[in-house]
Amino acid sequence: MTWLFLQAVVSGLLLGGVYGLVASGLSLIFGVLRIINFAHGAVMMLGMYASYWLFVLLGVDPYLSILVTGPLFFGIGVLIQRIVIEPNRDAAEHNQLLLTLGVALFFENLALVLWQGDFRTVRVWYSGASFLVADVLVEVPRLVAAGGAVLIALGLWGFLRTTDVGKAIRALSEEPEGARLVGVNVARIRGVAFGIGSACVAVAGALVTPFFYVAPDVGESFNIMAFVVVVLGGMGNFLGALMGGFIVGLAESLGAAFLPGSLKQLVVFGLFVVVLLLRPEGLFGTRRGR
Amino acid sequence: MSNDQRISMTAPIGRRRFLTAVGAVSAALAAPALVRAQAREVKVGYILPVTGPLAFEAQLALNGLQLAVDEINGAGGIKSLGGAKITLLPGDTQNKVELGNSEAARLIDQNVTALIGPFSSLVAFSVRQVTEKNKTPFLLLATVADNVLEGGLRYCFRMQPNARAMATLTVGNMIEMAKNAGTPIKRVAIMHEDGNFGTTMGNHVEAFAGKMGYELVQRVPYNLRSPDFTPELSKVKASRPDLLVISGYYGDSKIIAETAAKLRIGVNALVGLANAAYSNPKFITENRELTDQLFDGNYWHNPQSARARAVFEAYQKRFNSTMSNHGVQGYQVMFVLKDALERAASTDREKVRDAIAKTNLTDHILTQDAIHFDEAGESVNATPALLQVQGGKPVVVGPARFLEAKPVFPVAKWKG
Repeated sequence: MTWLFLQAVVSGLLLGGVYGLVASGLSLIFGVLRIINFAHGAVMMLGMYASYWLFVLLGVDPYLSILVTGPLFFGIGVLIQRIVIEPNRDAAEHNQLLLTLGVALFFENLALVLWQGDFRTVRVWYSGASFLVADVLVEVPRLVAAGGAVLIALGLWGFLRTTDVGKAIRALSEEPEGARLVGVNVARIRGVAFGIGSACVAVAGALVTPFFYVAPDVGESFNIMAFVVVVLGGMGNFLGALMGGFIVGLAESLGAAFLPGSLKQLVVFGLFVVVLLLRPEGLFGTRRGR
Repeated sequence: MSNDQRISMTAPIGRRRFLTAVGAVSAALAAPALVRAQAREVKVGYILPVTGPLAFEAQLALNGLQLAVDEINGAGGIKSLGGAKITLLPGDTQNKVELGNSEAARLIDQNVTALIGPFSSLVAFSVRQVTEKNKTPFLLLATVADNVLEGGLRYCFRMQPNARAMATLTVGNMIEMAKNAGTPIKRVAIMHEDGNFGTTMGNHVEAFAGKMGYELVQRVPYNLRSPDFTPELSKVKASRPDLLVISGYYGDSKIIAETAAKLRIGVNALVGLANAAYSNPKFITENRELTDQLFDGNYWHNPQSARARAVFEAYQKRFNSTMSNHGVQGYQVMFVLKDALERAASTDREKVRDAIAKTNLTDHILTQDAIHFDEAGESVNATPALLQVQGGKPVVVGPARFLEAKPVFPVAKWKG
């Protein structure tokens, strides 16, 4: 039993890191643009395909592909925001929501047309690498993904704390009117935030390709969990998202190990509903006064 | 003559006269063509998820259908219909219920003699109402849910084993094989995806435990989109089963096998149950080491049949890949229809339906006795083969009379 518990904790933490990075991007976008980006998972899927093709066609290691996909998806994110979302800034909230859902469906079907429903895998030399610590399995690519995700999320957090752009993003997410009054280029910062969020999720995609598969609907595996994570961590709370990732990863993993049937899903989504009901500002959120 | 022609060409022709002339000529040309088309074409519609999440598998089935159609047409078509050729009319369901219905209705409108499809049991549930209402024979392809044929259907037939036959015969074959190998299976665990397909399989494996005398020590339904199955498999490992049964789709089954290997799951064998990956040629080619000695209970061809071998070669040549379970089903179901058309000597749907109901086909490529249907439309002798990946390809290791190679059991690598 102790072994099973330890194994579940380790697996949960490793998975949680990736959830955290995916959710960080989603949370950032929500914080600044105040929209729930349903296209987040689809962008992750495109990022995974980008890493896949870089590997297959040019032999680029998925981890190294981050150097390409990160900036590329920053650009794509900025474009999505400029072309699709910014013109509808003043539309009703549910319209913006549907808009991102439309973008998600568009991307998924585009992927289906371009690459078919085929499952594709990236086989790198370290794909199967794993080791046992006191009989507890640690898979190397999952460890790298979790570690990388945490490092990147922390780096971004530092970026938001220290740089002018970062401060502008935070200002915009905390007090949009005030930010505008002190001369923040609001439209540009919104684009930058969407770009960073998209880059985050594309990078997360690159990190999971060595142990996962790539398919047009693969983003959905992470997208729903990312929503739960964002709610747990507090909408718009960047570090909260990272912590929330670990909590959801652990809840899922311990649920799978100790509860019968598909109850683990129930645990995670039950947590989601309870937090929304009792602490809508999230576990780590502070109440936002208006 | 050439003189006349020149004159008529230069002479002004009135519009009406021109139209009359053109009309007459085209009518003269078309009339025999129409007659010929009526006598020499049998329209068969397929409704498959050729785009969408099951596109890859659907294409494999479609390859099988096309291979069969070309073979039939190449050998002179349907002889009792004066050598009529089979024309395949396409329908795409995208694995969606509403599209299944509209595509079926459209094809029926285009006068197909029969419909083949649609993979998903959910889509089949809905399409069967369209085919019953329009009295159109409907040959199920890759549809396993037990209850699809319930409700006194008249036009719906299923050639392959249903979920019950699939589950009970696969586990039965494994237990029989283990007994013969001197390492009986007493403790069984199953992991299955928590949708309709996997749950049905799980139910049968659970219900079958008492009858076959094994203990189901762990039953783990899982979400097929889950990115990690380590905790689930750890739970399985802790329950110390002799056999782990896995019923799932492609991506999830791949990750489960990989994780089981890394966890040193400690079973005597891993067996897929109608698994979408474990006997899939693409999966095996991409994962040679992982898949070696993996078992799977699935539709398959009879390796002892010379005809099956010839079909395999033809498939390999034409599509440059190994024929898969779905390809085998596509190929064979078309020959079930061909056989019925020959006996019906008609493209009338009612007559073809009656002929299908009276099928007794011994010349087939499956691992079973003659193909014939019961009152409900189920194939009485349908049997899944027990396969094991050996040397990079799935070989039949059960039932014993179709044996292609000796099974390797227990599998040392899963013992860890």
